[in-house]
Amino acid sequence: MKEFQRYLLDRIAAANSHTLSVYRQQGGYKAIEKVLKTPLKPEDVITVMKDSGLRGRGGAGFPTGMKWSFMPDVTKDPRPRYLAVNADESEPGTCKDRVLMERDPHGLVEGCLIACYAMRAKAAYIYVRGEYRLSYDRVQAAIDEARAAGLVGKNILGTDFSCDIWMHKGAGAYICGEETGLMESLEGKRGHPRPKPPFPAGSGLWKSPTTVNNVETIFNAPFIVERGAEWFKSMGVPKSTGNFLCGISGHVNKPGVYELPFGLTARQILDEVAGGIWKGRKLKAFFPGGSSTGLMPASAIDVVMDHDSVKAAGSMFGTAAMIFLDETASIPQVMDVTLRFYDHESCGQCSQCREGTQWLHQMFHRIARGKGKREDIDLLVSLANGMAPGKTICALADAAAIPTLAAVKHFRAEFEQCVELGRDPLAPTHAPAPELQGAH
Amino acid sequence: MSQTPNPAPSSASTPAPAPAPKPATIKIQVDGREVEADPKQPLIRACHDQGVDVPMYCYHPGLSPVGSCRICQVEVAAGPGQPSRVVAACRTPVSPGMVVQTDTPKAHETRRECLEFLLKNHPLDCPICDKAGECDLQDYSFNEGQGKGRSSEPRRKLEKRKSLGDVIVLDEERCILCSRCVRFFQEVTHKPQLTVSGLGSRSTIATFADKPLSGNYQGNIADICPVGALTLKPFRFQARVWNLSKTLSTCAECSRGCSITVEALRGKEVKRFRPRFNPQVNQHWMCDVGRFAYAPVTQALPPEGGIVGGRLVGAAIRGYHGLERVELESALAEVADLLRAASKPLVLLSPFVTQEEARAALELCAGLGVAPRFVSPAPNNLKDDLLHTGDPCPNRRGLSELGVAAIEPAAALAELAAANAALLVGERIQSLLDVAALAKLPATARLVVLDVAAHDLAALSAAIGVPTHVEKSGQWINVDGHVGVLNVAVPAPAGVAPLERTLRELLEHCRAPAAR
Repeated sequence: MKEFQRYLLDRIAAANSHTLSVYRQQGGYKAIEKVLKTPLKPEDVITVMKDSGLRGRGGAGFPTGMKWSFMPDVTKDPRPRYLAVNADESEPGTCKDRVLMERDPHGLVEGCLIACYAMRAKAAYIYVRGEYRLSYDRVQAAIDEARAAGLVGKNILGTDFSCDIWMHKGAGAYICGEETGLMESLEGKRGHPRPKPPFPAGSGLWKSPTTVNNVETIFNAPFIVERGAEWFKSMGVPKSTGNFLCGISGHVNKPGVYELPFGLTARQILDEVAGGIWKGRKLKAFFPGGSSTGLMPASAIDVVMDHDSVKAAGSMFGTAAMIFLDETASIPQVMDVTLRFYDHESCGQCSQCREGTQWLHQMFHRIARGKGKREDIDLLVSLANGMAPGKTICALADAAAIPTLAAVKHFRAEFEQCVELGRDPLAPTHAPAPELQGAH
Repeated sequence: MSQTPNPAPSSASTPAPAPAPKPATIKIQVDGREVEADPKQPLIRACHDQGVDVPMYCYHPGLSPVGSCRICQVEVAAGPGQPSRVVAACRTPVSPGMVVQTDTPKAHETRRECLEFLLKNHPLDCPICDKAGECDLQDYSFNEGQGKGRSSEPRRKLEKRKSLGDVIVLDEERCILCSRCVRFFQEVTHKPQLTVSGLGSRSTIATFADKPLSGNYQGNIADICPVGALTLKPFRFQARVWNLSKTLSTCAECSRGCSITVEALRGKEVKRFRPRFNPQVNQHWMCDVGRFAYAPVTQALPPEGGIVGGRLVGAAIRGYHGLERVELESALAEVADLLRAASKPLVLLSPFVTQEEARAALELCAGLGVAPRFVSPAPNNLKDDLLHTGDPCPNRRGLSELGVAAIEPAAALAELAAANAALLVGERIQSLLDVAALAKLPATARLVVLDVAAHDLAALSAAIGVPTHVEKSGQWINVDGHVGVLNVAVPAPAGVAPLERTLRELLEHCRAPAAR
């Protein structure tokens, strides 16, 4: 793997990297100063973001500059405008935003200021999942420090730009990480996703124009503004620029969160970054971007890790949360656990999702316990096709159906074997973990 | 859902409300036909307005669309020849030139899939479910579903009979979480009482803090429930709905006169009043006071063949040995004699009499040379800002328009005490005047009562049974001038003649030469 430039996790090596003074020593708040003192027009900031080619890091990979430009014309729409930062990082496998919030919270604050300036938003709301206590405390402390230093609030840096940043703690529902569910939750309601249209840019928080961005996406903004779109485009591949945070977990020697450029192959990441599969075993399968993305077999390990290449290979880049499974892993067991999660987290609005996630979970559970029937495997495919794509209000049904379809496609023989033998030959020998009763 | 327009035009004597300006419409194509659609309404409305049946569970025309059940999927293209996709019709706005197809294999397949998921945990207890026969899930499963279930998983076990107060029972297993009931309390009564509790497949409908439901509009949630999850306590296990005859009628419990359907078991016994869509009066709703007011119209006969203390069938006059049953003809002759002998008999009408009956009464009074008045009790405390007016007189406006003056019960009783003959006409007139007070009147008051029930009154000279408002046809005029129709939902008991005919025959008797 050739050398590459790092910037996302550059600052966190320093002691007390989460404080304002250390952040400033490392060149922090220079980007917002550049924006406000030059001064750049909000449209110019959006243009830079568009030129940089930055794609959203929350999973869908939508171009960020374009998303920002969807906010209605301020001269024609007098409603207040908001930025909502999605820090409800709950996708199984994903753990990247946590590092940024715990270790470099001022980077997020500065990113919020730039985004709010570009979109003329009067406030940013950072929606942090409730389990991320340290993240919440660190970002809140950073906002307080910045506010005391005149960097958040009224007349920032003595200019007439005013912007507030507020924190909101989630209560532990995966669905509140869906952008419209997040907005409902922020408004104090049940986190039930809203049907689109209307899209958030037209009618979001409190029926006002709103943009929802992922933490890492916002975190990229100060770097792009300060160093320019050309610098950003020099990293990565043409259609997926910059670096991304890769959260590696599963049966590897060195799990963790790594900053990587787009364009490496999954094999490079596994062997050169994650230290290979543990215990000298072989790779069996991997999720390229979190549990909602289609499981890929070991034969796909040479896929290039960028949005378009992974999609062409039949899966999704997602949040780059790579989960590696070694040869001892039982795919029926993996799917049982995965679907248990989606069954538990479906909000329950749409019929297909509410009933379908439960149904799929029950079937995977049965197959993994050796009680499957031959016709179950085709039924899994048929049910998953009935749930997705795009048949429900939000993408949670898709998130359950996609890995189901991929698992059956690539590992049908293993499911058939479980059915034929009446037991799972790869089932763990230790007692299964007790079902969590009454967990939220 | 069928939408019955206001069945009769407004009465000629009141100015009809100006027709609302026709909303600007746009042209779309539904199943090959070019139709006009209201751009403010979702696509499903345009389909329903054209009589195209698009199934729905969470959508209800009286509530905001949420698009959660996903059963209303249709195939939509932006224009002819454009690529099409399947969308939920209740959350899709109409756009000019849109091409909508409800009857394609893709649309049917999507709906079949959706139904299969809905039926995954739905108990198949249709044989003991009160909703069977008018259940949307049952109907669409028959139309669109597959014959055989593919699930071998255990169904959800939840509470089968959870009381939500005096009116409603919830069966959590049957519930398909359409949230219509939740939105009803949020959007119609503006007093939220229900919520979806729990997440995903563990969701249930619940009241806040498990408090029982309150208010006068709870029954509506049983009507709008698309399955048998919410049932009315008084209607549970009372009738199979396919044995109920349905008759268009008008509610009698206040001057709003909500349009209703009277449902009678095999055309005989009234089992249910349900609201009927009327955009000018009650929309889709009615109050519980009106909904459960079918008990008075099914009054039992008096015990042991007596005359007083229950439903009055036929006619009776006071003879030497007290009240005696007589033929209607002879009773009318007696009454005519009594009225002619009296100087200025007092004539009081019930506010329940129809326009037709009131006209007959006016002719009779003209013959007697007196002016009738109608009994007008004080407003009750049921008035709210939704439907109930608090005025217990269903035909107050109609009687006023005919020139009949109102009289309060207390004033009427004072005049009755001084009268030497009085004619009390119409359903419930005795109870509106107060039966106990009537019983204290001196025998000289010589009451002739034309009511549904007979009471043991010392002053009662003659009593003639009349039909209740579900046993007759006619018109009432509501507080806003809209005409409400009454139709014969159940036959009046043998021996009870229509009141209008009785009054006209009485007039004939009054005109005829005296019998003796």
